[in-house]
Amino acid sequence: MDFSILQIVLVFLWVFIIGIDQFDLLESLYQPIVSGAVIGAILGDLPTGLVVGGTYQLMTIGNMPVGGAQPPNAVIGGVMAVVFAIGSDMEIDAAMGLAVPFAVVGQYMVTLLFTAMSPMMSVADKMAEKGDHKGIVRLNYLAMGILGLAFATVCTLGLIGGKAMGEGLQAAFDAVPWLMTGLSAAGGMMRFVGFATLLRIMLSNDHWGIYFAGFTMATIIGYIPALSGSALVLIAFVGIALALSDFQTGVAIKNVTANGNGGDDDGI
Amino acid sequence: MASNVYTNLTPAANLDKKTLNKMVWRSLNLQGSFNYERMQANGWLYGILPGLLAIHGEGSEDLKTSMAHNLEFFNTHPFLVTFVMGIVLSLEQQKADVGTIRAVRVAAMGPLGGIGDAIFWFTLVPIAAGIGSNMAIDGSIAGPIVFLALFNIVQFAVRFFLMHWSYNLGTKAIELLTANAKEFTRAASLLGVFVVGALTSNYGGTALSADLTLENGTTIQSILDGVLPKMIPLALTLGLYFLMKTKGWTPVKCIAALLVLGLVGAFFGIF
Repeated sequence: MDFSILQIVLVFLWVFIIGIDQFDLLESLYQPIVSGAVIGAILGDLPTGLVVGGTYQLMTIGNMPVGGAQPPNAVIGGVMAVVFAIGSDMEIDAAMGLAVPFAVVGQYMVTLLFTAMSPMMSVADKMAEKGDHKGIVRLNYLAMGILGLAFATVCTLGLIGGKAMGEGLQAAFDAVPWLMTGLSAAGGMMRFVGFATLLRIMLSNDHWGIYFAGFTMATIIGYIPALSGSALVLIAFVGIALALSDFQTGVAIKNVTANGNGGDDDGI
Repeated sequence: MASNVYTNLTPAANLDKKTLNKMVWRSLNLQGSFNYERMQANGWLYGILPGLLAIHGEGSEDLKTSMAHNLEFFNTHPFLVTFVMGIVLSLEQQKADVGTIRAVRVAAMGPLGGIGDAIFWFTLVPIAAGIGSNMAIDGSIAGPIVFLALFNIVQFAVRFFLMHWSYNLGTKAIELLTANAKEFTRAASLLGVFVVGALTSNYGGTALSADLTLENGTTIQSILDGVLPKMIPLALTLGLYFLMKTKGWTPVKCIAALLVLGLVGAFFGIF
């Protein structure tokens, strides 16, 4: 498959945008139904782009990024499926199959970036201490730019190198299977640092029981599959009940104390 | 050491519509610097900076205090974040106690995740993408356009409405609560700690590899689950808490330790 320089540049720019859009911006341009049409138009075959994009979209509807989980990367997958369908004149199913290694590599890149950005938070802490608000803004845009650039690079390599490139990239990652497993495992544990920091600040000694109560509530509800969507809402109801009761008791005690000898109109 | 009370306790002027709308636009990039440790924290701070600058003023000590505590762990549903923004900004404007603002922020961010998934990923996207995809497969360019229009009209309506609504709500509610500020702070921290406990279990997916089994095929993880489900997330959170508190470990040191733990663990097939 031969593409003109202009086409390659346009694909690079579009993937740069939707690589960012998958988490930011409109969070909808990256969907295969939109992206497929745009890539199709760039490569000179809009009808194929529409059909492949629409088909890939229907396939991903059951695969939404719910609750922070990383599904197979639809951004790269959708783009490469259209590229193969048009460039190599393939059946849609075969094109989507060839796109899978790219989608896997996309997923790896997201894991790498989210891991690498974790230690950057201490840089952000220093900016906050100095009141450097411009630094915070720059850091946010920098991370977005890196993500877009990584995705655009992989798709461009795929556009030039074809299917061998996807298989080669995936093989490079799979050669050290423990590396990506380890990074994912470490990534999954890093949120506990965030929780521990919050606890260190918020937890007074008389709130330990409440921490375990919240943990218990979430664990019980977590074992009921039908409640997976509403878990945190239900937990919030219980938490609000506890907090409200604590608030009302606290106010009542304050009023009683304020009345000096324990007024008789405001008992608990 | 960051202080827990703002030095200037005079409530700031109400934020104008222009600043609120600017923050709605910034809320689109909430996940720009998403990371595994604090998730949306830096993007959250980036989003509310226009408001914080208007409230605390460029170069003030209070701005530093406010930026520091708004950079703590944050994660909510990206399409509903303006609800949390509005309420937190109303508290910042009234110069509420930092502990109160933190507690309200933590308590508000958790439940929105589930609500947002239900509205957007389980309802809006399947409907909009379902209609659009079938049109596209029939060869119509209207397919992607219909999808984009449906999705973004709802998205922006929700973002703008929640920002203004929750900011006004927060501004009104605070006047009622200042009479019992101390009790309110205590109750809000209680709710915050409860939510962090729930998140430890709900977001804590760390488990041992299913290949780690006894000779009779029982996985080690299922034995752990029999003792206490989600034991590993709980143990790690508490372990890190004590390392930070008693040994003075910094977050970066904790992250490095977890990275080593993850890689070494994966190398030996534990994860």
